[in-house]
Amino acid sequence: MVPRANGLWIIILTLLLAYLLAIVPFPDWAMHYRPQWVAMVLIYWIMALPYRVGIGAAWFAGFFMDILEGSLLGLNALSFALIAYITLSLHQRLRMFSALQQSGMILALVGLNMTITYWIKVATEQTDAGSLLFLLGALSSAFVWPWLFLVLRQLRRGFNVH
Amino acid sequence: MSLEYRLLAFVALSFGVMFADSRFDYLDRVRYTVAYLSTPVYWVADIPARASSWIDDVFVSQRDLIEENAQLRQELLFAQRELQLLAGLASENSRLRELQEASQAVQGRVITAEIINVSNDPGSRRVLINRGAHNGVFEGQAILDAHGLMGQVVEVLPFTSWVLLITDSRHGTPVQVNRNGERAIARGSRSDAPGLELEYVPDTADIVIGDLLVSSGLGQRYPKDYPVAEVTSVYHDPGQPFALIRARPLAQMDRTRHVMLVVPDDDIIGSGVEALPAFQVPPDTGPATDPETEATQPSDAVTSPDAQGDF
Repeated sequence: MVPRANGLWIIILTLLLAYLLAIVPFPDWAMHYRPQWVAMVLIYWIMALPYRVGIGAAWFAGFFMDILEGSLLGLNALSFALIAYITLSLHQRLRMFSALQQSGMILALVGLNMTITYWIKVATEQTDAGSLLFLLGALSSAFVWPWLFLVLRQLRRGFNVH
Repeated sequence: MSLEYRLLAFVALSFGVMFADSRFDYLDRVRYTVAYLSTPVYWVADIPARASSWIDDVFVSQRDLIEENAQLRQELLFAQRELQLLAGLASENSRLRELQEASQAVQGRVITAEIINVSNDPGSRRVLINRGAHNGVFEGQAILDAHGLMGQVVEVLPFTSWVLLITDSRHGTPVQVNRNGERAIARGSRSDAPGLELEYVPDTADIVIGDLLVSSGLGQRYPKDYPVAEVTSVYHDPGQPFALIRARPLAQMDRTRHVMLVVPDDDIIGSGVEALPAFQVPPDTGPATDPETEATQPSDAVTSPDAQGDF
């Protein structure tokens, strides 16, 4: 028997919180260390509920991110769709990983996400080709992932989202 | 297998959307509509800043208030004295202009606004202000703070707008030296520290440290004669055809929260304001660096059109 889909609001709420954290003003020196909250929350939900949250949902989450940031439309949508695809094809292995291994995967996925958006921004002259400091964001994402994972899993179990 | 096809479809869709967004303006309407959903996110993200300023307002001792009041009174007195001098100068100026049959200098009105967010992309310098199409903001509108020019509106949303600061490396401000009228383009510097660099200034140009740069108004975007920056270093490299001149913007880019939007009274931009939807902003004035167009501004710009809505 296929369980009925429920708890959509908890998925949307966590995404909204991630959007909030993504735009909360940071001091200048900490700009590069901002974790990629939206990408991480998406990866969690894809990993936990691959039959509900997929490439399409990731694309629309990225599209909203583009509008929120005022960046080129389709930029984050593209990179989110790509990391959603990778997460979907790896989700069974990801679930078996230890926290450290998962953090490593997050480092790779978020780094890929940031590299893709950076490339497109440079190609469309939205930003200057500069240092690779922006990848520090992937490092901080990998660092907060274990805690984020615990919180989201607790939420998913508590509200019985499946 | 279907997963790959789905990925392919969405990747193709992304590239289509990116192409359409960068080349045409069909998607501006989508952006504008979805912004009704994104504005609340920004409103919530701004709560900590509002709360802290509220706490500053509420928990302040009476003595501090009295002190601040006295200081403000004194500043007002000084400002009023300067204003008196200015009134004399202004009338003298207009008499001289009449003698020369030159057009009246345009003095725009302003709308106040607050900065509610900063772009989270370290590579760009943009801020979000809490005024949008519903307040009559239009693309290309100039932003000032109390000390100088800050930037221009690049994207108008229903209740908010994105402002590109003059320190962004993709932004050039047409300026002139206040002392002698030497013209140049001030571009945002590419380094991490916010600043301006004067581009393509010949080695022989008379620009020295401490010179005040004001907007020249030649780009048709910024009003004339607003202070922009102060020259901080001039370097003549014998091997280079141009001098390397850096300037420090006078506007307090990263400290101020209160800014002003200039409402021009002239007909060129003023006529576009009544069409409030943001994507029907005035015809792009283009990168006009043509000094001839400056003289063609209408001279009867004193009567302000009331079509600009209530702010």
